Amino acid sequence: MFGLPWHIILPTLLGSLLVGAICSALGTFVVRMNLSSLGFAMSHAAFAGAALGLMISVVDPIWMAILFALVAAAVLGPMTDASRLHVDTIVGATFPLTMALGLIFIHKAPSSGIGSGALSLLWGSVLGVTMDQVVLLAAVAAFLVLVLFLFGKEFFALLLDRKLATASGVDARRAFYVLLFMVAIVVAVSLRVTGGLLIYALMVLPASAAFQWAYDIKKILLLAPALGILSSLAGFLLSLGADLPIGASIALSSAAIFFASILLSPKRRRIIAS
Amino acid sequence: MDESVVSLANVWAVYEGERHATLNGVTMNVLQGEQVAVTGPNGAGKTTILEVINGLLPITSGSVRVLGDEVTRDSHRLRSRIAYVPQSLFFAPDTPFLVRDVVIAARFGRIGRWRLPASSDRQQVDIALEAVGMTFAARRPIGRLSGGQQRKVLLARAVAQEASLLLLDEPTANLDPTSKGEVADLVADIRTTLSATSIVVSHESGPLLSASDRSVALDGGTIASMSNKDLSLAGAI
Repeated sequence: MFGLPWHIILPTLLGSLLVGAICSALGTFVVRMNLSSLGFAMSHAAFAGAALGLMISVVDPIWMAILFALVAAAVLGPMTDASRLHVDTIVGATFPLTMALGLIFIHKAPSSGIGSGALSLLWGSVLGVTMDQVVLLAAVAAFLVLVLFLFGKEFFALLLDRKLATASGVDARRAFYVLLFMVAIVVAVSLRVTGGLLIYALMVLPASAAFQWAYDIKKILLLAPALGILSSLAGFLLSLGADLPIGASIALSSAAIFFASILLSPKRRRIIAS
Repeated sequence: MDESVVSLANVWAVYEGERHATLNGVTMNVLQGEQVAVTGPNGAGKTTILEVINGLLPITSGSVRVLGDEVTRDSHRLRSRIAYVPQSLFFAPDTPFLVRDVVIAARFGRIGRWRLPASSDRQQVDIALEAVGMTFAARRPIGRLSGGQQRKVLLARAVAQEASLLLLDEPTANLDPTSKGEVADLVADIRTTLSATSIVVSHESGPLLSASDRSVALDGGTIASMSNKDLSLAGAI
Protein backbone atom coordinates (compact mmCIF):
# COMPACT_ATOMS: atom_id res chain seq x y z
CA MET A 1 0.00 0.00 0.00
CA PHE A 2 3.05 2.28 -0.03
CA GLY A 3 2.10 3.01 -3.64
CA LEU A 4 -0.99 4.92 -2.60
CA PRO A 5 -1.00 8.59 -3.66
CA TRP A 6 -0.05 11.16 -1.05
CA HIS A 7 -3.39 12.91 -1.05
CA ILE A 8 -4.83 9.67 0.35
CA ILE A 9 -1.98 8.82 2.70
CA LEU A 10 -1.33 12.28 4.12
CA PRO A 11 -4.65 12.79 5.96
CA THR A 12 -4.29 9.38 7.62
CA LEU A 13 -0.68 10.06 8.57
CA LEU A 14 -1.52 13.45 10.06
CA GLY A 15 -4.63 12.05 11.73
CA SER A 16 -2.65 9.18 13.24
CA LEU A 17 -0.01 11.49 14.64
CA LEU A 18 -2.60 13.84 16.13
CA VAL A 19 -4.54 10.96 17.65
CA GLY A 20 -1.32 9.55 19.08
CA ALA A 21 -0.50 12.86 20.71
CA ILE A 22 -3.88 13.73 22.21
CA CYS A 23 -4.81 10.22 23.36
CA SER A 24 -1.47 9.69 25.05
CA ALA A 25 -1.43 13.13 26.65
CA LEU A 26 -4.79 12.45 28.27
CA GLY A 27 -3.74 8.88 28.89
CA THR A 28 -1.27 10.15 31.48
CA PHE A 29 -4.23 11.29 33.60
CA VAL A 30 -6.28 8.19 32.80
CA VAL A 31 -3.49 5.84 33.90
CA ARG A 32 -2.35 7.76 36.96
CA MET A 33 -5.90 8.29 38.24
CA ASN A 34 -6.98 4.71 37.52
CA LEU A 35 -9.62 5.83 35.05
CA SER A 36 -8.74 3.20 32.44
CA SER A 37 -12.04 1.42 32.84
CA LEU A 38 -13.96 4.66 32.39
CA GLY A 39 -12.00 5.43 29.23
CA PHE A 40 -12.76 1.93 28.01
CA ALA A 41 -16.48 2.43 28.61
CA MET A 42 -16.47 5.83 26.92
CA SER A 43 -14.67 4.49 23.84
CA HIS A 44 -17.38 1.89 23.36
CA ALA A 45 -20.11 4.43 23.93
CA ALA A 46 -18.48 6.56 21.22
CA PHE A 47 -18.47 3.53 18.93
CA ALA A 48 -22.19 2.97 19.52
CA GLY A 49 -22.86 6.65 18.84
CA ALA A 50 -20.90 6.63 15.59
CA ALA A 51 -22.75 3.50 14.49
CA LEU A 52 -26.05 5.22 15.19
CA GLY A 53 -24.84 8.18 13.14
CA LEU A 54 -24.15 5.82 10.25
CA MET A 55 -27.57 4.27 10.59
CA ILE A 56 -29.57 7.49 10.57
CA SER A 57 -27.23 9.13 8.02
CA VAL A 58 -28.33 12.63 9.01
CA VAL A 59 -25.16 13.97 10.58
CA ASP A 60 -21.51 12.97 10.43
CA PRO A 61 -21.15 9.91 12.70
CA ILE A 62 -18.37 11.65 14.59
CA TRP A 63 -20.86 14.09 16.14
CA MET A 64 -23.00 11.24 17.38
CA ALA A 65 -19.86 9.58 18.73
CA ILE A 66 -19.01 12.77 20.66
CA LEU A 67 -22.59 12.99 21.97
CA PHE A 68 -22.64 9.38 23.17
CA ALA A 69 -19.20 9.66 24.78
CA LEU A 70 -20.18 12.86 26.57
CA VAL A 71 -23.38 11.28 27.84
CA ALA A 72 -21.36 8.29 29.04
CA ALA A 73 -18.99 10.65 30.88
CA ALA A 74 -21.92 12.53 32.42
CA VAL A 75 -23.61 9.33 33.59
CA LEU A 76 -20.67 7.14 34.54
CA GLY A 77 -18.52 9.88 36.10
CA PRO A 78 -20.78 10.63 39.06
CA MET A 79 -21.38 6.90 39.63
CA THR A 80 -17.71 6.14 40.08
CA ASP A 81 -16.96 9.51 41.64
CA ALA A 82 -19.24 8.83 44.58
CA SER A 83 -18.17 5.18 44.71
CA ARG A 84 -21.77 4.14 44.30
CA LEU A 85 -20.71 1.44 41.87
CA HIS A 86 -17.43 -0.36 41.48
CA VAL A 87 -15.77 0.62 38.25
CA ASP A 88 -15.58 -3.00 37.08
CA THR A 89 -19.33 -3.29 37.54
CA ILE A 90 -19.83 -0.22 35.38
CA VAL A 91 -17.61 -1.51 32.62
CA GLY A 92 -19.16 -4.96 32.86
CA ALA A 93 -22.57 -3.42 32.31
CA THR A 94 -21.70 -0.83 29.68
CA PHE A 95 -19.42 -2.93 27.48
CA PRO A 96 -22.02 -5.45 26.30
CA LEU A 97 -24.70 -2.76 26.12
CA THR A 98 -22.71 -0.33 23.97
CA MET A 99 -21.19 -3.06 21.81
CA ALA A 100 -24.61 -4.60 21.24
CA LEU A 101 -26.09 -1.22 20.35
CA GLY A 102 -23.17 -0.44 18.06
CA LEU A 103 -23.40 -3.75 16.22
CA ILE A 104 -27.19 -3.44 15.84
CA PHE A 105 -26.83 0.09 14.47
CA ILE A 106 -24.16 -1.09 12.03
CA HIS A 107 -26.35 -4.00 10.98
CA LYS A 108 -29.17 -1.58 10.26
CA ALA A 109 -26.96 0.99 8.54
CA PRO A 110 -27.57 1.42 4.79
CA SER A 111 -23.93 0.58 3.98
CA SER A 112 -23.57 -2.34 6.35
CA GLY A 113 -21.52 -5.37 5.45
CA ILE A 114 -18.07 -6.74 5.95
CA GLY A 115 -15.51 -4.39 4.50
CA SER A 116 -17.85 -1.42 4.48
CA GLY A 117 -16.94 1.95 5.92
CA ALA A 118 -19.17 1.15 8.87
CA LEU A 119 -16.87 -1.55 10.10
CA SER A 120 -13.91 0.82 9.99
CA LEU A 121 -15.48 2.24 13.15
CA LEU A 122 -14.49 -0.99 14.83
CA TRP A 123 -10.84 -1.22 13.83
CA GLY A 124 -10.05 2.02 12.02
CA SER A 125 -9.19 2.56 8.40
CA VAL A 126 -6.08 3.74 6.65
CA LEU A 127 -8.28 5.19 3.95
CA GLY A 128 -11.05 6.43 6.17
CA VAL A 129 -9.52 9.72 7.28
CA THR A 130 -10.28 12.91 5.38
CA MET A 131 -8.66 16.32 5.64
CA ASP A 132 -11.84 17.61 7.29
CA GLN A 133 -11.33 15.06 10.06
CA VAL A 134 -7.69 16.08 10.36
CA VAL A 135 -8.80 19.67 10.82
CA LEU A 136 -11.25 18.53 13.51
CA LEU A 137 -8.51 16.54 15.25
CA ALA A 138 -6.18 19.56 15.11
CA ALA A 139 -8.93 21.75 16.59
CA VAL A 140 -9.47 19.25 19.41
CA ALA A 141 -5.71 19.09 19.99
CA ALA A 142 -5.58 22.89 20.25
CA PHE A 143 -8.57 22.87 22.61
CA LEU A 144 -6.88 20.21 24.73
CA VAL A 145 -3.74 22.32 25.00
CA LEU A 146 -5.89 25.29 26.07
CA VAL A 147 -7.71 23.20 28.70
CA LEU A 148 -4.43 21.79 30.01
CA PHE A 149 -3.12 25.34 30.29
CA LEU A 150 -6.23 26.71 32.01
CA PHE A 151 -6.61 23.79 34.42
CA GLY A 152 -2.94 22.88 34.66
CA LYS A 153 -2.64 23.46 38.41
CA GLU A 154 -5.85 21.66 39.18
CA PHE A 155 -4.94 18.67 37.02
CA PHE A 156 -1.47 18.58 38.55
CA ALA A 157 -2.94 18.50 42.05
CA LEU A 158 -5.40 15.78 40.98
CA LEU A 159 -2.55 13.67 39.66
CA LEU A 160 -0.81 13.89 43.03
CA ASP A 161 -3.77 13.02 45.24
CA ARG A 162 -7.39 14.01 44.85
CA LYS A 163 -8.11 14.22 48.56
CA LEU A 164 -5.07 16.40 49.20
CA ALA A 165 -6.06 18.60 46.28
CA THR A 166 -9.57 19.12 47.61
CA ALA A 167 -8.33 19.66 51.15
CA SER A 168 -5.94 22.42 50.05
CA GLY A 169 -8.63 24.44 48.27
CA VAL A 170 -8.47 23.10 44.73
CA ASP A 171 -11.84 22.53 43.08
CA ALA A 172 -10.86 18.94 42.33
CA ARG A 173 -14.38 17.84 41.50
CA ARG A 174 -14.74 20.38 38.72
CA ALA A 175 -11.28 19.53 37.36
CA PHE A 176 -12.18 15.82 37.44
CA TYR A 177 -15.27 16.38 35.31
CA VAL A 178 -13.45 18.65 32.87
CA LEU A 179 -10.96 15.82 32.49
CA LEU A 180 -13.65 13.21 31.94
CA PHE A 181 -15.36 15.31 29.26
CA MET A 182 -12.03 15.87 27.52
CA VAL A 183 -11.44 12.11 27.49
CA ALA A 184 -14.90 11.64 25.98
CA ILE A 185 -14.26 14.17 23.21
CA VAL A 186 -10.79 12.86 22.40
CA VAL A 187 -11.96 9.24 22.30
CA ALA A 188 -14.84 10.15 19.98
CA VAL A 189 -12.82 12.18 17.46
CA SER A 190 -10.08 9.53 17.40
CA LEU A 191 -12.49 6.78 16.45
CA ARG A 192 -12.00 7.03 12.69
CA VAL A 193 -8.28 6.38 12.91
CA THR A 194 -7.91 3.61 15.45
CA GLY A 195 -11.43 2.24 15.66
CA GLY A 196 -13.63 1.81 18.70
CA LEU A 197 -12.06 -1.44 19.81
CA LEU A 198 -8.48 -0.24 19.96
CA ILE A 199 -8.59 3.45 20.86
CA TYR A 200 -8.21 2.30 24.43
CA ALA A 201 -4.75 0.91 23.63
CA LEU A 202 -3.49 4.28 22.45
CA MET A 203 -4.85 5.96 25.55
CA VAL A 204 -3.27 3.56 28.02
CA LEU A 205 -0.12 2.00 26.55
CA PRO A 206 2.07 5.02 25.63
CA ALA A 207 1.21 6.72 28.93
CA SER A 208 1.96 3.53 30.86
CA ALA A 209 5.26 3.28 28.96
CA ALA A 210 6.11 6.89 29.86
CA PHE A 211 5.60 6.11 33.55
CA GLN A 212 8.39 3.53 33.28
CA TRP A 213 10.97 6.16 32.39
CA ALA A 214 10.69 8.96 34.95
CA TYR A 215 9.73 9.89 38.49
CA ASP A 216 8.88 13.45 37.50
CA ILE A 217 5.29 13.88 36.34
CA LYS A 218 6.24 16.94 34.27
CA LYS A 219 8.61 14.81 32.18
CA ILE A 220 6.00 12.07 31.91
CA LEU A 221 3.43 14.57 30.64
CA LEU A 222 5.81 15.42 27.79
CA LEU A 223 7.08 11.89 27.17
CA ALA A 224 3.65 10.25 26.91
CA PRO A 225 2.48 12.20 23.83
CA ALA A 226 5.92 11.72 22.28
CA LEU A 227 5.57 7.95 22.69
CA GLY A 228 2.00 8.19 21.42
CA ILE A 229 3.20 9.91 18.26
CA LEU A 230 5.94 7.29 17.86
CA SER A 231 3.38 4.49 18.30
CA SER A 232 1.10 6.05 15.70
CA LEU A 233 3.90 6.58 13.21
CA ALA A 234 5.17 3.02 13.63
CA GLY A 235 1.62 1.67 13.40
CA PHE A 236 0.92 3.74 10.30
CA LEU A 237 4.02 2.41 8.54
CA LEU A 238 3.22 -1.15 9.60
CA SER A 239 -0.32 -0.76 8.32
CA LEU A 240 0.86 0.52 4.94
CA GLY A 241 3.73 -1.92 4.60
CA ALA A 242 1.90 -5.09 5.64
CA ASP A 243 -1.58 -4.06 4.51
CA LEU A 244 -3.01 -4.38 8.02
CA PRO A 245 -5.82 -2.47 9.72
CA ILE A 246 -4.33 0.73 11.04
CA GLY A 247 -6.01 0.54 14.45
CA ALA A 248 -4.55 -2.91 15.10
CA SER A 249 -1.15 -1.82 13.80
CA ILE A 250 -1.07 1.18 16.14
CA ALA A 251 -2.16 -1.01 19.05
CA LEU A 252 0.64 -3.48 18.25
CA SER A 253 3.30 -0.78 18.06
CA SER A 254 1.99 0.79 21.30
CA ALA A 255 2.21 -2.58 23.00
CA ALA A 256 5.75 -3.12 21.68
CA ILE A 257 6.86 0.27 23.07
CA PHE A 258 5.17 -0.49 26.37
CA PHE A 259 6.86 -3.87 26.82
CA ALA A 260 10.22 -2.47 25.72
CA SER A 261 9.81 0.31 28.29
CA ILE A 262 9.13 -2.22 31.03
CA LEU A 263 12.20 -4.22 30.10
CA LEU A 264 14.49 -1.21 29.80
CA SER A 265 13.00 0.91 32.56
CA PRO A 266 15.58 2.49 34.88
CA LYS A 267 13.01 2.07 37.67
CA ARG A 268 13.02 -1.67 37.14
CA ARG A 269 16.82 -1.77 37.12
CA ARG A 270 16.86 0.16 40.39
CA ILE A 271 14.41 -2.23 42.01
CA ILE A 272 16.45 -5.25 40.88
CA ALA A 273 19.65 -3.62 42.13
CA SER A 274 18.13 -2.93 45.52
CA MET B 1 -11.37 38.57 73.90
CA ASP B 2 -11.15 34.93 72.75
CA GLU B 3 -12.28 34.23 69.25
CA SER B 4 -13.35 30.85 67.94
CA VAL B 5 -11.45 29.68 64.89
CA VAL B 6 -13.49 26.48 64.70
CA SER B 7 -17.05 26.23 65.87
CA LEU B 8 -19.12 23.06 65.67
CA ALA B 9 -22.73 23.30 66.80
CA ASN B 10 -24.74 20.09 67.22
CA VAL B 11 -23.02 18.47 64.24
CA TRP B 12 -24.30 15.19 62.87
CA ALA B 13 -22.46 13.44 60.06
CA VAL B 14 -22.82 10.11 58.32
CA TYR B 15 -20.73 8.51 55.59
CA GLU B 16 -22.52 7.57 52.41
CA GLY B 17 -23.82 4.03 52.59
CA GLU B 18 -23.62 3.93 56.39
CA ARG B 19 -26.77 3.48 58.45
CA HIS B 20 -25.47 5.05 61.63
CA ALA B 21 -24.09 8.55 62.11
CA THR B 22 -20.37 8.82 62.79
CA LEU B 23 -20.81 12.13 64.62
CA ASN B 24 -23.83 12.44 66.89
CA GLY B 25 -24.52 16.03 67.82
CA VAL B 26 -20.98 17.21 68.53
CA THR B 27 -20.57 20.76 69.79
CA MET B 28 -17.15 22.27 70.34
CA ASN B 29 -15.14 25.41 69.83
CA VAL B 30 -11.44 25.88 69.20
CA LEU B 31 -9.95 29.23 70.03
CA GLN B 32 -7.36 31.25 68.16
CA GLY B 33 -3.85 29.90 68.69
CA GLU B 34 -4.91 26.80 70.58
CA GLN B 35 -3.75 23.28 69.98
CA VAL B 36 -6.53 20.85 70.71
CA ALA B 37 -5.96 17.11 70.79
CA VAL B 38 -8.81 14.86 69.73
CA THR B 39 -8.48 11.38 71.17
CA GLY B 40 -10.53 8.23 71.34
CA PRO B 41 -10.68 4.61 70.24
CA ASN B 42 -10.92 3.47 66.62
CA GLY B 43 -14.26 4.41 65.12
CA ALA B 44 -14.90 7.15 67.68
CA GLY B 45 -15.22 9.82 64.98
CA LYS B 46 -11.81 11.51 65.32
CA THR B 47 -11.02 11.61 61.61
CA THR B 48 -14.63 12.52 60.84
CA ILE B 49 -14.32 15.68 62.93
CA LEU B 50 -11.40 16.83 60.80
CA GLU B 51 -13.26 15.96 57.61
CA VAL B 52 -16.32 17.99 58.55
CA ILE B 53 -14.16 20.92 59.65
CA ASN B 54 -12.60 21.23 56.20
CA GLY B 55 -15.79 20.25 54.39
CA LEU B 56 -14.56 16.98 52.92
CA LEU B 57 -17.54 15.26 54.50
CA PRO B 58 -20.87 17.11 54.32
CA ILE B 59 -22.77 17.25 57.59
CA THR B 60 -26.35 16.05 57.84
CA SER B 61 -27.36 18.66 60.39
CA GLY B 62 -25.90 21.30 62.65
CA SER B 63 -23.39 23.98 61.77
CA VAL B 64 -19.65 24.13 61.14
CA ARG B 65 -17.94 27.51 61.05
CA VAL B 66 -14.23 27.90 60.40
CA LEU B 67 -12.31 31.18 60.39
CA GLY B 68 -15.64 32.99 60.47
CA ASP B 69 -17.21 31.24 57.46
CA GLU B 70 -19.79 28.50 57.18
CA VAL B 71 -18.16 25.36 55.76
CA THR B 72 -19.71 23.73 52.71
CA ARG B 73 -18.48 21.31 50.08
CA ASP B 74 -17.68 24.31 47.87
CA SER B 75 -15.64 26.23 50.45
CA HIS B 76 -12.54 26.08 48.25
CA ARG B 77 -11.24 29.52 49.24
CA LEU B 78 -11.64 28.70 52.91
CA ARG B 79 -9.88 25.35 52.51
CA SER B 80 -6.89 27.10 50.97
CA ARG B 81 -6.29 28.51 54.49
CA ILE B 82 -6.56 25.10 56.16
CA ALA B 83 -3.67 22.64 56.06
CA TYR B 84 -4.75 19.04 56.27
CA VAL B 85 -2.43 16.10 56.85
CA PRO B 86 -4.57 13.01 56.32
CA GLN B 87 -4.18 9.80 58.24
CA SER B 88 -1.83 7.16 56.83
CA LEU B 89 -1.07 8.97 53.58
CA PHE B 90 2.16 7.47 52.34
CA PHE B 91 3.34 7.79 48.78
CA ALA B 92 4.21 4.57 46.92
CA PRO B 93 7.82 4.17 45.74
CA ASP B 94 6.89 4.81 42.10
CA THR B 95 4.86 7.96 42.78
CA PRO B 96 5.89 10.26 39.90
CA PHE B 97 6.22 13.47 41.87
CA LEU B 98 9.27 15.31 43.12
CA VAL B 99 9.21 16.64 46.67
CA ARG B 100 9.14 20.30 45.61
CA ASP B 101 6.16 19.59 43.33
CA VAL B 102 4.28 17.92 46.19
CA VAL B 103 4.85 21.05 48.27
CA ILE B 104 4.01 23.64 45.63
CA ALA B 105 0.72 21.84 44.91
CA ALA B 106 -0.38 22.92 48.40
CA ARG B 107 -0.38 26.54 47.19
CA PHE B 108 -2.63 25.97 44.18
CA GLY B 109 -5.78 26.69 46.16
CA ARG B 110 -4.32 30.00 47.35
CA ILE B 111 -3.16 30.99 43.90
CA GLY B 112 -6.71 30.67 42.57
CA ARG B 113 -8.13 29.87 39.17
CA TRP B 114 -6.55 30.80 35.84
CA ARG B 115 -3.24 31.81 37.43
CA LEU B 116 0.13 30.12 37.23
CA PRO B 117 2.53 29.76 40.17
CA ALA B 118 4.85 32.75 40.40
CA SER B 119 8.46 32.99 41.61
CA SER B 120 7.10 34.01 45.02
CA ASP B 121 5.30 30.68 45.20
CA ARG B 122 8.52 28.81 44.46
CA GLN B 123 10.31 30.88 47.11
CA GLN B 124 7.65 29.88 49.61
CA VAL B 125 8.30 26.23 48.73
CA ASP B 126 12.01 26.73 49.47
CA ILE B 127 11.14 28.36 52.80
CA ALA B 128 8.77 25.53 53.68
CA LEU B 129 11.27 22.78 52.88
CA GLU B 130 13.93 24.58 54.88
CA ALA B 131 11.54 24.91 57.81
CA VAL B 132 11.16 21.14 58.00
CA GLY B 133 14.80 20.39 57.17
CA MET B 134 14.03 18.77 53.84
CA THR B 135 15.77 21.15 51.43
CA PHE B 136 18.23 18.39 50.49
CA ALA B 137 15.33 16.28 49.14
CA ALA B 138 13.66 18.96 47.02
CA ARG B 139 14.43 17.24 43.73
CA ARG B 140 13.98 13.67 44.96
CA PRO B 141 10.92 11.56 44.16
CA ILE B 142 8.53 11.68 47.12
CA GLY B 143 8.03 7.92 47.07
CA ARG B 144 11.72 7.29 47.66
CA LEU B 145 11.65 9.00 51.05
CA SER B 146 11.12 7.27 54.38
CA GLY B 147 7.78 7.47 56.17
CA GLY B 148 9.11 10.09 58.59
CA GLN B 149 10.52 12.19 55.76
CA GLN B 150 7.23 12.00 53.89
CA ARG B 151 5.46 13.26 57.01
CA LYS B 152 7.85 16.21 57.10
CA VAL B 153 7.09 16.98 53.47
CA LEU B 154 3.37 16.98 54.26
CA LEU B 155 4.07 19.41 57.10
CA ALA B 156 6.08 21.52 54.65
CA ARG B 157 2.89 21.76 52.61
CA ALA B 158 1.24 23.39 55.62
CA VAL B 159 4.03 25.98 55.78
CA ALA B 160 3.89 26.56 52.02
CA GLN B 161 0.15 26.99 52.27
CA GLU B 162 0.64 29.67 54.98
CA ALA B 163 -2.29 28.05 56.72
CA SER B 164 -4.23 29.60 59.56
CA LEU B 165 -5.54 26.25 60.77
CA LEU B 166 -3.70 22.91 60.91
CA LEU B 167 -5.70 19.68 60.88
CA LEU B 168 -3.33 16.83 61.64
CA ASP B 169 -4.69 13.30 61.57
CA GLU B 170 -2.40 10.90 63.42
CA PRO B 171 0.71 12.74 62.16
CA THR B 172 3.08 10.50 64.10
CA ALA B 173 1.38 7.16 63.43
CA ASN B 174 3.64 4.38 62.17
CA LEU B 175 6.80 6.40 62.85
CA ASP B 176 9.74 5.33 64.97
CA PRO B 177 10.23 7.14 68.31
CA THR B 178 12.89 9.50 66.91
CA SER B 179 10.70 10.52 64.00
CA LYS B 180 7.72 10.99 66.32
CA GLY B 181 9.72 13.47 68.38
CA GLU B 182 10.96 15.30 65.28
CA VAL B 183 7.47 15.61 63.84
CA ALA B 184 6.11 16.85 67.19
CA ASP B 185 8.84 19.50 67.36
CA LEU B 186 8.12 20.56 63.79
CA VAL B 187 4.42 20.93 64.50
CA ALA B 188 5.24 23.21 67.42
CA ASP B 189 7.63 25.27 65.26
CA ILE B 190 5.10 25.56 62.44
CA ARG B 191 2.34 26.65 64.82
CA THR B 192 4.61 29.39 66.12
CA THR B 193 5.79 30.46 62.67
CA LEU B 194 2.30 30.64 61.21
CA SER B 195 0.55 31.73 64.42
CA ALA B 196 -1.78 28.93 63.56
CA THR B 197 -4.46 27.11 65.46
CA SER B 198 -4.22 23.34 65.33
CA ILE B 199 -6.31 20.27 65.93
CA VAL B 200 -4.38 17.04 66.32
CA VAL B 201 -6.01 13.65 66.17
CA SER B 202 -4.25 10.82 67.94
CA HIS B 203 -5.10 7.57 69.62
CA GLU B 204 -1.80 7.31 71.46
CA SER B 205 -0.07 9.44 74.06
CA GLY B 206 3.11 11.24 73.11
CA PRO B 207 4.78 14.60 72.73
CA LEU B 208 2.06 15.96 70.44
CA LEU B 209 -0.67 15.30 72.97
CA SER B 210 1.31 16.64 75.89
CA ALA B 211 1.99 19.83 73.91
CA SER B 212 -1.73 20.39 73.37
CA ASP B 213 -3.57 23.08 75.30
CA ARG B 214 -6.50 20.79 75.91
CA SER B 215 -7.96 17.53 74.72
CA VAL B 216 -11.34 16.26 73.65
CA ALA B 217 -12.06 12.56 73.97
CA LEU B 218 -14.58 11.06 71.56
CA ASP B 219 -16.44 7.81 71.89
CA GLY B 220 -19.15 6.56 69.58
CA GLY B 221 -19.37 9.88 67.78
CA THR B 222 -20.03 11.94 70.90
CA ILE B 223 -17.77 13.88 73.22
CA ALA B 224 -17.07 11.57 76.14
CA SER B 225 -14.83 13.88 78.11
CA MET B 226 -12.79 17.02 77.84
CA SER B 227 -9.85 18.60 79.54
CA ASN B 228 -10.72 20.99 82.34
CA LYS B 229 -9.52 24.25 80.81
CA ASP B 230 -11.39 27.41 79.92
CA LEU B 231 -13.28 26.47 76.82
CA SER B 232 -16.70 26.92 75.45
CA LEU B 233 -17.20 23.27 74.86
CA ALA B 234 -20.26 21.14 75.23
CA GLY B 235 -20.67 17.51 74.33
CA ALA B 236 -23.76 15.60 73.49
CA ILE B 237 -23.28 13.07 76.23
